Amino acid sequence: MPLLRYLQHWLTGRGPRLQVADFVPETHSLRQWADTFPWAALVAAVDRSFAQRFPKPTTRGRPPVSTRVLLALELLKQELACSDEQICSRLRTDLAVMYACGIVEVQVDGSQEHFVLPEVLAHFRSRLDAPLMAELLAIQAAMAMEDGLVSPAHLVVDTFPSEQGSQRVNDAATLYKAQKKSSRSSRP
Amino acid sequence: MRRFGRQCRGMGKVLVTLVRQTETQLLEMGQQVLPLARAAQECLHGAPQLSQDQRARLDTQLAAALEAHHRIESQSRRLTQGKALGHCKIVNAYDPTIAPICKGKSNCPAQFGRTPGTVVEPAAGFIFALHLPLGNPSDASYVEPLVDHVEQAIARVGTRPTPAIHSLAGDLALNDAALRDALHARGILTVGIPRTVAPLPPSPLPEEVPRILSEAGVQDIRTPTQVHLAYACGYSRPVVESIIASLLCRGAARLTYQGHRGAIVQIGMAVMAHHAATLVRIHEYRLSKRARTFRRRLRLRCRKVNHCNASIN
Repeated sequence: MPLLRYLQHWLTGRGPRLQVADFVPETHSLRQWADTFPWAALVAAVDRSFAQRFPKPTTRGRPPVSTRVLLALELLKQELACSDEQICSRLRTDLAVMYACGIVEVQVDGSQEHFVLPEVLAHFRSRLDAPLMAELLAIQAAMAMEDGLVSPAHLVVDTFPSEQGSQRVNDAATLYKAQKKSSRSSRP
Repeated sequence: MRRFGRQCRGMGKVLVTLVRQTETQLLEMGQQVLPLARAAQECLHGAPQLSQDQRARLDTQLAAALEAHHRIESQSRRLTQGKALGHCKIVNAYDPTIAPICKGKSNCPAQFGRTPGTVVEPAAGFIFALHLPLGNPSDASYVEPLVDHVEQAIARVGTRPTPAIHSLAGDLALNDAALRDALHARGILTVGIPRTVAPLPPSPLPEEVPRILSEAGVQDIRTPTQVHLAYACGYSRPVVESIIASLLCRGAARLTYQGHRGAIVQIGMAVMAHHAATLVRIHEYRLSKRARTFRRRLRLRCRKVNHCNASIN
């Protein structure tokens, strides 16, 4: 089980080993969702991109969290509309999330608070860039085409607005609001 | 500034005077910022206690801040002098890549953010590619990068016959002669892009089909059946809206990651999550009647997706 080597102390508890797939029914929506991804190709693309752009990780210290787990967490975060903290917390308690992250078996240790820290996820995300995202999308589309599930024969192009979530207050808005407030308060 | 002006209609002169006076005061106050920043840059180069990496990182950050200051200053001067700005105007000093979203709006406050473009298969709603440009360019400028992305995905397909793009549809914003020519040169039909506000017919008249093929110059590579399908797969607002709604509920509505790269990562992940959900729907055959008809006509299979990829986990 190559993934186990990377998963940290939280998989080496003393409790009984749980087979994650036994707990998650085959009809579970998250299991079906996770099974559609070509994980091996996606993880290989991420690792290749990181190896080209960042220094080689040192062999000293604790092994890093697997790319497979972090990539799945990032995707699950969007699918389940969670924050970093929420998705990392669900990985600790939700077996369907563990299955989606590719964890085959887990050895329970009740004292362990986190499996993956939100900071680790944020660090992983900061390494993703536009060409890598385009490659991941292309891999997923190519796999679906190869399986004969979708065809690019007839396509539709459209755009949609995406508002910036964290808009900072600017001087013009502050001044405008102050004037509006003062004009309201001066009314009889 | 747009919102500022619209909501204060009638007070324009007063506000412009106020803004110009404030500008003078602010420029006087901030006169020393640039020499101080340059002095800090010189100190940074001569600081022995910093490592090479730290020095390089701080230098880059300072250079970026100086560049941003220069852009904001020149933009502010244009605004106070009453000159129009280009589409890449700065609306957020902390993120110069955010732009006002003014397309498709009628007299309402402009949102600030980005406008991603997608190229979608209308039968099941699978998104083949995503393009997120800087600023707020025209919709027609999205098409060629999106088609390039789709062709890159097609190049990865190992099975034969290799899939190909037969037609491309869109709304009236894509009605551009140069774009049509570019798509025809790639062997792509453009009958799904309307030329007027009138709705497209669901199918062409039989005598029109040869004319359409010869006009596009694709009579050797496209068939009359493909023209009929291209008409049927033409732009449909409800279909597009459902796909956009699926993306918005997966976190594409509000961008919380910083910068242009962050926006690409966030929307890209939402698209990948949407892909997987679409494949589950295809696998379970939870598709509309229209989608089922298209899939039959395109001879697409409905395979057990779970069984295909189970070994990957």
